[in-house]
Amino acid sequence: MSNDEKPRIGVYICHCGENIAGAVDVKAVAEFAKTLPDVVVVRDYLFMCSDPGQELIKQDIRDGLVNRVVVAACTPRTHEPIFRKACEDAGLNKYYFEMANIRDQCSWAHWHEKEKATEKAKAIVAAAVAKARLLEPLEDRYIELTKEVMVIGGGIAGIFAALDLANAGFKVHLVEKSPSIGGNMAKLDKTFPTNDCSACILTPLMVEVANHPNINLLTYSEVESVEGSVGNFKVKVRKKQTYVDWDKCTGCGACLDVCPPKARVPDEFNEGMSLRGAIYIPFPQAVPKKAVVDMDACIKCGGRDFSGKEPRLSKSGKPILAPCEKVCPTGAADRTPYRDPNGELVELNVGAIIVATGYKVMDKHHFKEFAPEHPNVITAMQMERLISATGPSEGKLIKPSEIPKLLEAKKKGEKVEVEKPHTITFISCVGSRDNRYHTYCSRVCCMYMLKQAMILKEKYPDLDIYIFFIDVRTPGKDFDEYYMRCRQLGIKIIKGRAGGIQPLPDDRLLVKGYDAEIGKPVEVVTDIAVLATAIEPNPTLKELARTLGINVGAEGFLKERHTKLYPVDTMTEGIFIAGCAQGPKDIPDSVAQAKAAAASAMSLLDPGKMTVEPLISEVNKEKCTGCGICVPLCPYGAISLVECEDGKKKSEINPALCKGCGVCTAACPSKAITLHGFTYDQVLAQIKTIARWPEIPAE
Amino acid sequence: MIESEEGVPNVLNLSEIAEREREEDERVVEIVREFGAENLIYCMQCGSCAAVCPLARVGFEWYNKKLIKALLLGMKEELLDDPTPWACVACNRCTEVCPRQVSPFEVMFAVRRMMVEEFAIPTLAIEGLRALYEYGHAVYMTGREARKKVGLPEKPPSTDSDEQALKDLKTILKNTKLAKLGLIPMND
Ligand SMILES: Cc1cc2nc3c(=O)[nH]c(=O)nc-3n(C[C@H](O)[C@H](O)[C@H](O)COP(=O)(O)OP(=O)(O)OC[C@H]3O[C@@H](n4cnc5c(N)ncnc54)[C@H](O)[C@@H]3O)c2cc1C
Ligand code: SF4
Ligand code: SF4
Ligand code: SF4
Ligand code: SF4
Repeated sequence: MSNDEKPRIGVYICHCGENIAGAVDVKAVAEFAKTLPDVVVVRDYLFMCSDPGQELIKQDIRDGLVNRVVVAACTPRTHEPIFRKACEDAGLNKYYFEMANIRDQCSWAHWHEKEKATEKAKAIVAAAVAKARLLEPLEDRYIELTKEVMVIGGGIAGIFAALDLANAGFKVHLVEKSPSIGGNMAKLDKTFPTNDCSACILTPLMVEVANHPNINLLTYSEVESVEGSVGNFKVKVRKKQTYVDWDKCTGCGACLDVCPPKARVPDEFNEGMSLRGAIYIPFPQAVPKKAVVDMDACIKCGGRDFSGKEPRLSKSGKPILAPCEKVCPTGAADRTPYRDPNGELVELNVGAIIVATGYKVMDKHHFKEFAPEHPNVITAMQMERLISATGPSEGKLIKPSEIPKLLEAKKKGEKVEVEKPHTITFISCVGSRDNRYHTYCSRVCCMYMLKQAMILKEKYPDLDIYIFFIDVRTPGKDFDEYYMRCRQLGIKIIKGRAGGIQPLPDDRLLVKGYDAEIGKPVEVVTDIAVLATAIEPNPTLKELARTLGINVGAEGFLKERHTKLYPVDTMTEGIFIAGCAQGPKDIPDSVAQAKAAAASAMSLLDPGKMTVEPLISEVNKEKCTGCGICVPLCPYGAISLVECEDGKKKSEINPALCKGCGVCTAACPSKAITLHGFTYDQVLAQIKTIARWPEIPAE
Repeated sequence: MIESEEGVPNVLNLSEIAEREREEDERVVEIVREFGAENLIYCMQCGSCAAVCPLARVGFEWYNKKLIKALLLGMKEELLDDPTPWACVACNRCTEVCPRQVSPFEVMFAVRRMMVEEFAIPTLAIEGLRALYEYGHAVYMTGREARKKVGLPEKPPSTDSDEQALKDLKTILKNTKLAKLGLIPMND
């Protein structure tokens, strides 16, 4: 079928059940469509996208009845690909297809104005027909895909995404901003709903990541810039300066406790409940197990930083070394060589990106009503550290206010008596379901409060444990059974979120609440109060999203392309999301999403090449004057001025980068740029039809 | 402060309640479980039982659901003067609807047993026990005179008029905890 054949247009009008037919008189639109120029067939059907509906179109094409197709229906956003494919299957170039949106932009918008809706539908159909008369056949393009993937974030989600891809033979670059992978799960003691030890199930996976031949692990690194598009992203990753020679560091840990007191800062891994030195390894099971120097904390012992100075000599002629240098048996902590504070820039070329940067928990200091300055008011994440064997008290349950005493004694090798709690009180929804902070439910706190209470009660049956809930939410597999187990243990569930905490003179805390089940205010005198503070997006997530060109939702988490149908995709093709970066969720869900994202990246990249719509812009070199106006306008950097044979500079568009946005087309003063599928003539024909309505322009 | 009517303070200090349990070395939940309400710990406070309970409908304060919660919190002393458990009509509607198979009715009766142990029994209940021992009827029909007048035997044809049966009943009752508690005279 050549393109100079006179157009014979088929118009197919969909009822969309009642969605269109409920407001638009479909029969009237059909009758009207028959009067339009070049229209030879008009049909309507209950669901045009159904098999029999599509068959109507295909049969007319096969019979040679029509050579241009207009479907008046829901929206091209979801259905244009379906009808294009139907045209192609029947042997018609699929770009001889045009869609008239009479549902989203007509029937739904004018549901209560049947007559006007019908009139508008006619105009929309007429405009589509006007454009269809001028359609040209186009050929699909292909781009080569790089079979490598970058995973950002090395929590449980990033770990699984990386492993699945690597096992399938894809090269993976795992970029983690902290010195070790593991994420928040590494801090947890045991994990609901099975109560298996977090480190026991996580550590082997971390080691597998480090040893995998297909994984390039980039810890202490952050993404700096991303260019290009699906199949061919060019990424710059900043490897931060570790100030320790990782080739030499064996992770022996000799340097961990040598920094002087002034260089000791709150330990992130223990949620600030203990101190670490400026030189540190984040936690005992860290992967890679290497030390880094935190330059903000380092006090430059021996008066020496890392700018390549030789050590000063003492009177006896011995070099004056910093404590870390002195103890390091391998010379990894050597301060003499110059180390660039900017670290190193690594360039990657990847076909797809998975973002799994996780979450942070809200700090207790926001909540003045809960006496946040009191050491025995802690967040639930701090409770995880308090009961963990790798925590500040090595898993012994003590009052948090006693930790400094315990650590001091440990350092001196002495034994001390520390106070143990008798009562522990949990408070739910702190910062969640709260218009002042976050309107959403953090989804995991109900379960982890029950978990912590259960672990404690099973280990110390004499503990008196209270949990103040707005309501207990346990909608996961095996979750409600878990909750019932807690109740049976005698953990006291109070229905009502506590309203405040008052510190008592004896170092204890008075929790004031209300039990809706008894219908009375209640009070609990407690030794420890645990706040289930909300899960929040990482503070740097917005910036990362901007770098990647993906969106964040109102609450600051990454936005998926479609909540139900494309839950791990983003609006930018080739970029996927997984885990808590997308929204609060537990480990089972984070892992499921990670595997889904990995599978999506695989099915995208595995064919090695990909079809791209030819709906992009092209420069007519004859018309182009080389003014260059278009070059800086292109949001995708697809346009450049190149020298032609005659020595003149003309604009050229890189088809691999052009997204067909049309900015250049509209801006070119010489009308030298054509956006295929949306040519001047086509778009003007549409506009004229609408503008002169109800008159139908002849040509 | 306005004292609430039921002997339950306006503000419940849960720690004091727990402390009392610890001091007396007894757990209220375990006491009532011993007395037949072993499934109490499965209650999730859904409220189905209260929806059908006639006591809740007529305004008794500590109907099934609420009583269970109080027990789970360790309350006992606060409840001793409360008449609700004694008002339970044993209709067992609650047992039928409870999704956790708690048998709230059993809780009501277990609480009665706990109250009896503490001699916290309403006079009406003592009367009932006495009548049971004397005549074999907890709710005894008065009006022997009236029966005589209309030509009926003075005593109804039940345990009351069956000397052997009454004797047997008394023997049984003397062998129950009732005798040990000495709540009613059991002389003959
Ligand atoms: C107190 C508490 C207890 C919990 N208990 C349980 C439980 O028992 N069971 C359960 O199933 N779930 C539990 N959860 C939930 C669980 O922690 C999460 O589901 C899980 O950790 C999410 O994993 P993730 O990989 O998405 O995110 P994370 O674990 O947060 O990992 C994200 C990683 O990305 C890195 N990162 C962040 N930003 C960047 C960046 N810009 N560039 C590079 N890297 C970056 C971070 O350093 C981190 O390593 C609990 C949560 C809390 C708060
Ligand atoms: S002492 Fe040296 S080798 Fe050991 S952990 Fe520290 S830097 Fe690494
Ligand atoms: S999971 Fe539970 S505690 Fe957390 S916000 Fe939701 S309802 Fe509140
Ligand atoms: S058996 Fe007692 S507690 Fe249960 S519904 Fe009947 S009156 Fe209420
Ligand atoms: S119906 Fe059962 S589970 Fe529900 S409140 Fe009553 S006893 Fe508890």
